[in-house]
Amino acid sequence: MIDAFLHAAMMMTTPILLAAIGGLVNRIGGLVNLGLESMMLAGALVAVIVSAKTGSSTLATVAALGVGAGVGLAMSLVITRLSANEIIVGLGFTVATAGLVRFLLKSIYGVSGTYNPPNVAMLPRLDIPFLDAVPVLGAIVSGQDPLTWLAWALVPATAFVLQQTRWGLRLRATGAAETTVRAVGLAPLSIRDASTVFAGGLAGLAGAHLSIGVVGLFNEGITGGRGFIALAAFYFGRTSPFRTALGALLFGAFDAAQIRLQGRGVPAELVQTLPYIIVIIVLTGLGLSEKRRQRARTL
Amino acid sequence: MTSIALPRFANVIDAAAPLALALAIGAAVLLAAGFEPLGVYRLMIEEAFGGQRQIAATLTAATPLLLTGLAAAIAFRAGIFNVGAEGCFYLGGIVAAVVGFAAPTWPSFVLILVALATASLVGGLWLVGPGVLRARFGVDEVVTTLMLNFIAVALTSWLVNGPLLARGSANSATPVIVANAALPRLLPPTTLHLGFIISLGLVMLYGIWSRFAVGGLRSRLVGLNPRFSRAVGIEPAPIFLASMIVSGAIGGLAGGIHALGLVHRFVSGFSPGYGFTGIAIALLARNSAIGVVIAAVLFGALTSAGANIQLFSDVPIEIVQILQGAVMIFAVANLGFIWNRRRTVR
Repeated sequence: MIDAFLHAAMMMTTPILLAAIGGLVNRIGGLVNLGLESMMLAGALVAVIVSAKTGSSTLATVAALGVGAGVGLAMSLVITRLSANEIIVGLGFTVATAGLVRFLLKSIYGVSGTYNPPNVAMLPRLDIPFLDAVPVLGAIVSGQDPLTWLAWALVPATAFVLQQTRWGLRLRATGAAETTVRAVGLAPLSIRDASTVFAGGLAGLAGAHLSIGVVGLFNEGITGGRGFIALAAFYFGRTSPFRTALGALLFGAFDAAQIRLQGRGVPAELVQTLPYIIVIIVLTGLGLSEKRRQRARTL
Repeated sequence: MTSIALPRFANVIDAAAPLALALAIGAAVLLAAGFEPLGVYRLMIEEAFGGQRQIAATLTAATPLLLTGLAAAIAFRAGIFNVGAEGCFYLGGIVAAVVGFAAPTWPSFVLILVALATASLVGGLWLVGPGVLRARFGVDEVVTTLMLNFIAVALTSWLVNGPLLARGSANSATPVIVANAALPRLLPPTTLHLGFIISLGLVMLYGIWSRFAVGGLRSRLVGLNPRFSRAVGIEPAPIFLASMIVSGAIGGLAGGIHALGLVHRFVSGFSPGYGFTGIAIALLARNSAIGVVIAAVLFGALTSAGANIQLFSDVPIEIVQILQGAVMIFAVANLGFIWNRRRTVR
């Protein structure tokens, strides 16, 4: 019982974590990505299509990465080169992509909402010998797909790159002091575009995890707002990949809990609101402490 | 003469360019899917404006958008990025529906007034939190209002699946409101209802207020430059808060009118994104009242025509959603590069 829950919690954390790490990097580069949901959705659909066509989950994963990165690039270019408001463009991409996906499903496959082709190759589950017999630990680490491993590997990797490497410094500078970056001869807009492409690619992978890692088909509601929960996770994490991962884990656990709580008298709809409530509380706390700091400074 | 006419012309192009680009993208999608774009667009125009019945359907579809567009415009004008109208729409809808079936003995006028007033009240109260956070602590209102949307949708969805679920109803819906609570129809047998007049009236009021009232000038100054407005003695914080609350109240009213005028109950999935379409409308309109009316009718036309062309041809209705999203994207993009070169040569 507890093992099944932990396993599900890890599984539901993966898409949120992947997208949240992307969103975090994107935000550090100076762009708040509200289009993660659209990139995730595109990735989920393309993964199913390619997986059914080729029978290769690897190709499908690469295709999802590519399409997510492509949508990310398109969104980034509109924001950085046409100086458009990131919030509206992100929401616009979410609306337009949801429409486009449903439009294509109807006009190409003649299905409404759900695309369930035969022979979808699923992502392999990595069973770890000996460890899978250990009660709690086995449920957490064994039987997860490669994208879950990738997501968790990215947490320390991102922290390292951000803090210890030239690329991390450039990215942080782009978000914090764009003119300085320009003054030393780098192109801040291109660096920002690269961070959005990274975020888009990871969101595409998150979509692939949902469609060919968890369920094996595509449904228009498959992302279920997880792009926005990822937003909640990286707002929770502020600038730290580890805190972001903690947020993603928390929200993934809520997601897994909510499925289990259905039919037990606890309304699933209310459990779904928890990530959003937590983010508002965190933002309120940050605002209050910022205000207090300002007041202390003026005194 | 030309110096006065020119900027106006540029304004029209500014508003028309995103639309033209969105239509071009829509055409590309249609073409790729094997449809004939011009034919589809012509059919859409016919289905939206081809006769009295079609026009009535277009205006009915435009009714909620007039108000969500107005809600966004009021906030944006004061520099408040409120994206929370969608949540207010859901809450206003459910509150109005509850009043509409809970007080069957009240006279029609009182019942409608109370239902719409509570819908606005709840919508306004819903955004007090983000308003205070922004005005007093500088907390980013985009994220808080966006998060509140999800909370409102989940909350209302829980209410209609549990406590408020109509007896014997399989789908998640409240009981139907009493006949007394329904907004009168303007042109039976079409569904055009009094809500359209109310909404249009409010947008016109906003137009007058924004142009001639002191408050209208203040909100514009705060929106353009809060530091300057503080320097000339207009404190931005109360205006931020007031704009947020009024914006929420109008979002709630929009939901209330939608419930009493068209749906006659609250159902799960009450709004297909009216709040977000309202954002696109306000942006296209550059927050002007007349612009909100034009853009709302346009999006209303898209919605009602989209539903019909799906019936008469096999073009999926989602083309409308694609166009809406594309308009949102291009409405905020600086498309100046397209004709800037020409203008500087002149």
